[in-house]
Amino acid sequence: MTEILFKAIDTPNLTSLDVYEKTLDGYQSLKKAFEKTPDELVEMVKASGLRGRGGAGFPTGLKWSFLAKDVFPRYLACNADESEPGTCKDRELLMKNPHLLIEGMILCSYACQIETGYIYMRGEFWEYEELMDTAIEEAYAKGYLGKNIMGTGFNLDIYTHMGAGAYICGEESALLTSLEGYRGEPRLKPPFPAVEGLYGKPTVVNNVETLCAIPFIVLNGAEAYAAIGTEKSKGTKLVSVSGHVNKPGNYEIPLGTPTIDLIEKYAGGIRNGNKLKAFIPGGSSVPMLPASKADVPYDYESLMEAGTMLGSGALIVMDDTTNVVSEALCLAHFYMHESCGKCTPCREGTRWMYQILSDIIGRKGKPEQVELLNDICDNMAFKCFCPLGDAAVAPVVSSIQYFPEDYEELIASLKSEQPVGAH
Amino acid sequence: MDTATQTDTVTLTIDGKTVTVPKGTVVVDAAKTVDIEIPVFCYHEKLGPFGCCRMCLVEVEKMPKMTTACTLTVGEGMVVKTNTEKVEKAQKGVLEFTLLNHPLDCPVCDKGGECPLQDNTFKFGPPDTRMDYNRFNRDKATPLSPVITIDRERCIACQRCTRYSDIIEKDQALVMRNRGFQNRVSTFNDQPYDTRFSGNVIDICPVGALTNTDFRFTARSWDLTNSSTLCGHCACNCNMTLGARLNEMKRITTRPNDLVDDGWICDKARWGYDFTKSKNRIAQPRKQGQVVAIQDACSEVVVSLKKIVEAHGPNSVGFIGSGYGLNEDLYSYQKLFREHIGTNNIDHKTYVDTPGLPVTHFDLLDVETSDLVVLIASDPTEELPILDLRLKKAVERQGTEMIVLNDQQTLMDKYAALSVRYNIGSDGALLAGLNAVLQGQSAGSDLESATGVASSQLQLVAEKIKTAGKVCVIYNPAALTGSAIHTLKQCLATAGGLAETAVGAIPAAPVTNAMGAMDMGVLPDCYPGGVPLSNSDAIKAKWGDTAPLEKGWSALEMIEKARSGELKALVVYRSNPVVDFPGGRNVEEALGKLDLLVVHDIMETETAKLAQVVLPSNGPGFDEGTTTNIGGRVQLRTKGLTTDNPADWKIVSMIAKELGQETAPKDVHAITAEIAEKVGGYQEIKRSAIRKEGKNRAVVPSSNGATASEEIATGDGLILRIADVLFSHDKILDAESNLAHQFQPSTVHLHASDANGLGVQEGDEVSVSGNGHEVKAEVRISNRCNPGGAVLPKVSDEQDVMSLAEAGKAISRVTIKK
Amino acid sequence: MFAFTEASETRIEKILAKYPESRKVSALLPLLTLAQDQEGYITPEAMIEIGKRLDVSPAYVESVCTFYTMYYTKPVGKYVVKFCINISCHLNGCDNLMEYTARKLGIKEGETTPDKKFTLLKEECLAACCEAPVMQVNNKYHVNMTPEKVDQVLESCK
Repeated sequence: MTEILFKAIDTPNLTSLDVYEKTLDGYQSLKKAFEKTPDELVEMVKASGLRGRGGAGFPTGLKWSFLAKDVFPRYLACNADESEPGTCKDRELLMKNPHLLIEGMILCSYACQIETGYIYMRGEFWEYEELMDTAIEEAYAKGYLGKNIMGTGFNLDIYTHMGAGAYICGEESALLTSLEGYRGEPRLKPPFPAVEGLYGKPTVVNNVETLCAIPFIVLNGAEAYAAIGTEKSKGTKLVSVSGHVNKPGNYEIPLGTPTIDLIEKYAGGIRNGNKLKAFIPGGSSVPMLPASKADVPYDYESLMEAGTMLGSGALIVMDDTTNVVSEALCLAHFYMHESCGKCTPCREGTRWMYQILSDIIGRKGKPEQVELLNDICDNMAFKCFCPLGDAAVAPVVSSIQYFPEDYEELIASLKSEQPVGAH
Repeated sequence: MDTATQTDTVTLTIDGKTVTVPKGTVVVDAAKTVDIEIPVFCYHEKLGPFGCCRMCLVEVEKMPKMTTACTLTVGEGMVVKTNTEKVEKAQKGVLEFTLLNHPLDCPVCDKGGECPLQDNTFKFGPPDTRMDYNRFNRDKATPLSPVITIDRERCIACQRCTRYSDIIEKDQALVMRNRGFQNRVSTFNDQPYDTRFSGNVIDICPVGALTNTDFRFTARSWDLTNSSTLCGHCACNCNMTLGARLNEMKRITTRPNDLVDDGWICDKARWGYDFTKSKNRIAQPRKQGQVVAIQDACSEVVVSLKKIVEAHGPNSVGFIGSGYGLNEDLYSYQKLFREHIGTNNIDHKTYVDTPGLPVTHFDLLDVETSDLVVLIASDPTEELPILDLRLKKAVERQGTEMIVLNDQQTLMDKYAALSVRYNIGSDGALLAGLNAVLQGQSAGSDLESATGVASSQLQLVAEKIKTAGKVCVIYNPAALTGSAIHTLKQCLATAGGLAETAVGAIPAAPVTNAMGAMDMGVLPDCYPGGVPLSNSDAIKAKWGDTAPLEKGWSALEMIEKARSGELKALVVYRSNPVVDFPGGRNVEEALGKLDLLVVHDIMETETAKLAQVVLPSNGPGFDEGTTTNIGGRVQLRTKGLTTDNPADWKIVSMIAKELGQETAPKDVHAITAEIAEKVGGYQEIKRSAIRKEGKNRAVVPSSNGATASEEIATGDGLILRIADVLFSHDKILDAESNLAHQFQPSTVHLHASDANGLGVQEGDEVSVSGNGHEVKAEVRISNRCNPGGAVLPKVSDEQDVMSLAEAGKAISRVTIKK
Repeated sequence: MFAFTEASETRIEKILAKYPESRKVSALLPLLTLAQDQEGYITPEAMIEIGKRLDVSPAYVESVCTFYTMYYTKPVGKYVVKFCINISCHLNGCDNLMEYTARKLGIKEGETTPDKKFTLLKEECLAACCEAPVMQVNNKYHVNMTPEKVDQVLESCK
């Protein structure tokens, strides 16, 4: 088993710099990196095939190379807002190995000629802010942060910044808006953050897990990283397996591992001896799939081909006692609650969907409402200001597509309970 | 190779039509140029792209998803489609979402008939809704302020109003609260939204969520008679539409003219027209307190004037006009006094000023194309509100830098790269110092002791002026003391001579047509078109051999001559010297000594009470003619209401006729034409030429007076500065005004060090005395002026603050007692 | 009247140092958090004070404050008990657990006990999905919750 991110993760006191250095060759990558030019480092990350682990899966090195030329200062914003339902991998990294992230951020900053980095953590991660602040202080004390790092002339400050409860701030432009002290509403793109990001300056926004993969790449070479995984999906991925499994947890897998293995081998199979009914492979924003597709390899391309996405790497498992409409309603409530309200289709559509799904669950639904739901989704998809609107329709559309009988059952029960003609 | 990238235009195709537009244009605006309507709600060209309502989705070739045309900048060769099946479905979908929680109370909605939501639904919407649930329950018709009503159910959260508050007003007073479908437009802690420009949100609201409380349920929009007119309050002369029904003013709305108002009006323009229906109007002519026919009143004026001229000569008669009159009325009056009385005792102001500029007269648009604005003694926020918005735009969005030189703190300081605060009354010394520095000389060793400003600061100002490519100087002559205006013009001349800098100026006297009054020669020492008395040949050529050439008395001199008995008769037009002239109540006594006082005004005033003959003036709303704004732009003010009373020029013409004028102008246009013929600079000002967006009058010759050396008299007490206030409780904004909530208490602003010395504290009720008068005021320790000064905002006529000022003195002192 | 305590002032200095001088409004969320830690919820007076510090209008502060769900603009109990109701917790019975807790505290979701000790709230995903169901009391996570564990946690709240 290849462990890059979770290597020795449960070592006691790994959060302290000393233990981190002893256990994991901590901060050893810096020397190697500083021997290279920033551009060489960017090329190295490109060659590794590392892709953004936050959800979009955009090639990391390429993202770095898009920074507006010769515009300074530049910023790094680490996305530690982890708020995609089903996802809890970054929390484990932050909680257990903060120095790995700091090391990754130093490497990224050196490669991108950045002198200020922020870690935007969701407000609920209050406990880990303290932990992270302590780790940052240790790194300053050791000369890994601050002025003239290791005599290279390279300066870097890293700060934590706490959110305050808004899912949308996980979207990179909303994260920057929030970091600037505004309502966390997404911004128009273009310009992309690489051109006009934080404070209007070129900015790299990377997820915790993405940045945590960088030290390995620098230390062991791009090839070592690229050797793991599939042809196009390189490296390892943390997958949060939750729901109806015996051993829910975060597992680090080489990309391309069959999904069914994640459920059966890693997470100990379906609980209570039940059968797998459905799974959402990449967090609540991606379409769910039926059990029949469980052998799909867990990588970007294969999941895309199967009609869904890898997303943030959150595998939510539902057994055959589940009526998926109930879960669709749960997520509809979530998206209604988290819609920022800026754009009309998302603000109005998420609420309307919630109203209809509530009726269906409450056995007040009408057969034509299923079609209406589909059409509302069509009117929202790719027409909203930001991807939240697209995300909101994914569970609804896919649940209707794969499990129409779950809807029919709830609506049919209406017919059986009420005399014909009463409606 | 690629010529397209080297030009400033972009060519694209929209629905098969080829469109060429300037680079940077958004697709929505590009489509308009070929009459393709892409529906919008949130987009407003003055607010820029936002993209939240999603109404303007279009398909663009090579783009995988539909995109919003309001956020999409045109690209060379771009192919846009606005009428495909996909687009139509999206439009129907978005409208269905928009209408989900919007009540269909159009029959009782004030926006009905002029509602973008109605119109877009009519053109692009679904025939029906599939919504089965009750609307989200929100507050109906609650006050957002005393003048604006908000209907939260109708709000579609387009954020136009909140973005206006943020981007245009720069106040962030109106914001979005909460998120998701719970979001709503709000103010802090639900306090009233009562800024100076709040009413514009009514005009830009694309639904009936924000409505004009005064207008609610008083008329349907389609029943209004709308006239394109101008605001008659400040000297910006914003364009506006007056909506009337059955000859009663119902509402005022914006009528965008980018060259003047940039599409906005202030709240005084919107709600300051109640005087058109006020009980306090001078409804009919009066003679010795008795209502008479207008002909009788005019005859009385003529008979009395003739008698006085016969007995005491033409110079025993005078005319005090004002910048509130139209060009045609002012022109007629000065002509009457020069041609038929034979005197130059003609004036319209109480401060020193001379016509023309030694540099280019900049228009309002130049403010935002300048690299540097130098704002001198001007408080646009209170005096010329639309200029305030223009300056904020220039500084915040156009990259203009601003320097403020003032004796008092203003809201403009926040936007200034440099604020220079000089002692009250030291403007002449400061400007002399600046002139010296601009000429490369020393500002003088006593600059700092005289003005409170270090010479290094003036060096910085001069450096910025010298290094900026285009400099716009904006100054308020009415706020300068003594003859400081002459020094200012010397400064302008010096700056105008700088090799690397293009310098222009905007004389920003606050009164509606102050510029026109100067141009029309309502001056004791200049004929129309800025022709000085010394230029007798030119005067005789135009005005005949009998044209008087002896310098007349200024307005303030006329008051003093009335007191001394040398002036026997005075015609006061649209002016209230008893309240508005320095000396205030002292003027009352002087006017009481006249044999004849004629007051021609809109509203009953303290001065009108003293008059033997009172003539009604119709004023804005009713009158028609031209005004010249601070940018030198001449525009047409048309009438929106009618009255049986004759127009002001007509009354002048009736008097002139009895005094022997043979031909009377047929109508007001005949006078406009005569002005074009007779007034230098106005040759091109034809009714047809100015109808749409006005026209700049040409250069008026510049003249300048000699600077008197005025030392700041030492003495007891603090130096008085009377400041203008936009919403002053006067005759125009009376107690019944919709804007009464904006009236302020009488306050005196002190520097902390002076307050300390006087032993007064914030909020103390004090008596401010000077010139034999006393004014009650509440203390504000605001450091608004340098130590040694006291700023009293002129908040009402009743406050009587002008009585504290000594007429004819550059500075006045006041003492403050608890 | 609202005033930051001395301890808060020390924190504010550190917070402001994180952001460029001309971008101090970035400190808005941290300062709101600080005000809430101090007072239990965010009062209009606190919003005015924060606006002054950061050179923004109080309306702006309120606008930002009400966007984020972790800020309370009304008083809450000494302990705010939040249950995640999102999918992973939903699949693991958070509904029953929430109902159990509500019964135990004698209040409904969104309410505060009469003694002002507990406020019960629903929360969206708390990012501890592999340890569902999840409960947070004030800032502390409690995972793999059962009715027995709820009892224990509530009892430990003094």
